[in-house]
Amino acid sequence: NQTQQLELFPEHRVTQMLFKEVKNAAELRRSAVDGQINGALVNPTMLVSPFQVLVAANKALHLQKIGKMKTRSLYSEIIFNLSPTNNISEAFKRFGISDGDESVMVVLVHSQDESQIVSDIAAKVDGLQVPVAEVSSLSDTAKIKKLYKVTPREEKCGTLEDAVICRMATKDVV
Amino acid sequence: MTQEKSLAAPHFLSNAVLIKQGAEARVYRTEFLGKPMIVKERFPKRYRHPALDEKLTHRRTVQEVRSILRCRKAGICAPVVYFVDYISHCIFLEEIMSSLTVRDHIASIQQSGSCKEQELEYIADRVGQILATMHDEDVIHGDLTTSNMLLRCGLEDGDMEDMVIIDFGLSYISALPEDKGVDLYVLEKAFLSTHPNTEALFERLLKTYAASSKKSSAVIKKLDEVPQLTLSRN
Ligand SMILES: Nc1ncnc2c1ncn2[C@@H]1O[C@H](COP(=O)(O)O)[C@@H](O)[C@H]1O
Repeated sequence: NQTQQLELFPEHRVTQMLFKEVKNAAELRRSAVDGQINGALVNPTMLVSPFQVLVAANKALHLQKIGKMKTRSLYSEIIFNLSPTNNISEAFKRFGISDGDESVMVVLVHSQDESQIVSDIAAKVDGLQVPVAEVSSLSDTAKIKKLYKVTPREEKCGTLEDAVICRMATKDVV
Repeated sequence: MTQEKSLAAPHFLSNAVLIKQGAEARVYRTEFLGKPMIVKERFPKRYRHPALDEKLTHRRTVQEVRSILRCRKAGICAPVVYFVDYISHCIFLEEIMSSLTVRDHIASIQQSGSCKEQELEYIADRVGQILATMHDEDVIHGDLTTSNMLLRCGLEDGDMEDMVIIDFGLSYISALPEDKGVDLYVLEKAFLSTHPNTEALFERLLKTYAASSKKSSAVIKKLDEVPQLTLSRN
């Protein structure tokens, strides 16, 4: 697991867990929809890095605090924030998990001492947990570049992650 | 109404290092989400009506963020935007590490001895090209100086751009040649007063700009219409 504290919201921690060879994606997705899993289930092939998730979580908490979330829960807001567009259903389609998926990134926001919740959710996943940093090896960069409309010109100014983060951070005003 | 709900950023910044106190913003250096970052915080101007001030400050923040994104998409390096707080008007930006300003670079070339002409011309050409691209994208920087251009030192990746434009605090989007002309005029004044004996160098910069921009002739015409400038050129 990778757990990080958010500087702006010191009472919150973000935990990311990455699973490969997942056999029960459909069941997990249903549990999340039914509210039995209190976390965001993200499609790791659309992620460039764990940092991207951290940026989305920070923004979600910020919008929650000021009452300006675009979706109904903190977890759906995290998924929405990952997307470059303001289309909510498209964000879920691309960045949420689908029934046949073989890998899942589980994202949890919790207070300091909730290791029980973290391990309870981990136990629901029928798959192989791997280090979160491995998410970069699962990235579908061609698909990511297409969805975020990243051009070769822009890649001269920085990494694909830079381009993705910039889109996420500015999508509400462009 | 919502202001008091968002003390998170100001609270966080109270522990950050203040690196610049400007007339309308404070600039901090800090670490955020595990990365070194620059945070630019616009503060209220007490002499303005609060509602108007809020509106203007919000607009400036939005314009700064939009200009940065538009530049990056066009291949002009500008700091990555990581997070924007439109309540406390904070922009969290990439800190450009191990860089020096074009201002310091020019000064040190001028001080050093031999074969400086070529190095200076390289810088002038780069700036001319970048501004041409920026203006072709209709981004007006608003505060062009050689201090707002950084050079990355020791880039290993030869494909990476070496010059980074910063401080889009007064920037906006406009297609008007006069806005672009004034942008260049601001740079010319700053350039010639910062760097002695660089008239020919600045002419070269403009020439490269004109050759690189698709819409430069109307801009250069406007630049020449600024009367004081016409005087100082001839
Ligand atoms: N993204 C950045 N990376 C490194 N240094 C910066 C950055 N932004 C601003 N600075 C420094 O902070 C000073 C004030 O920032 P500004 O008000 O944006 O011009 C600049 O003159 C730079 O020396």
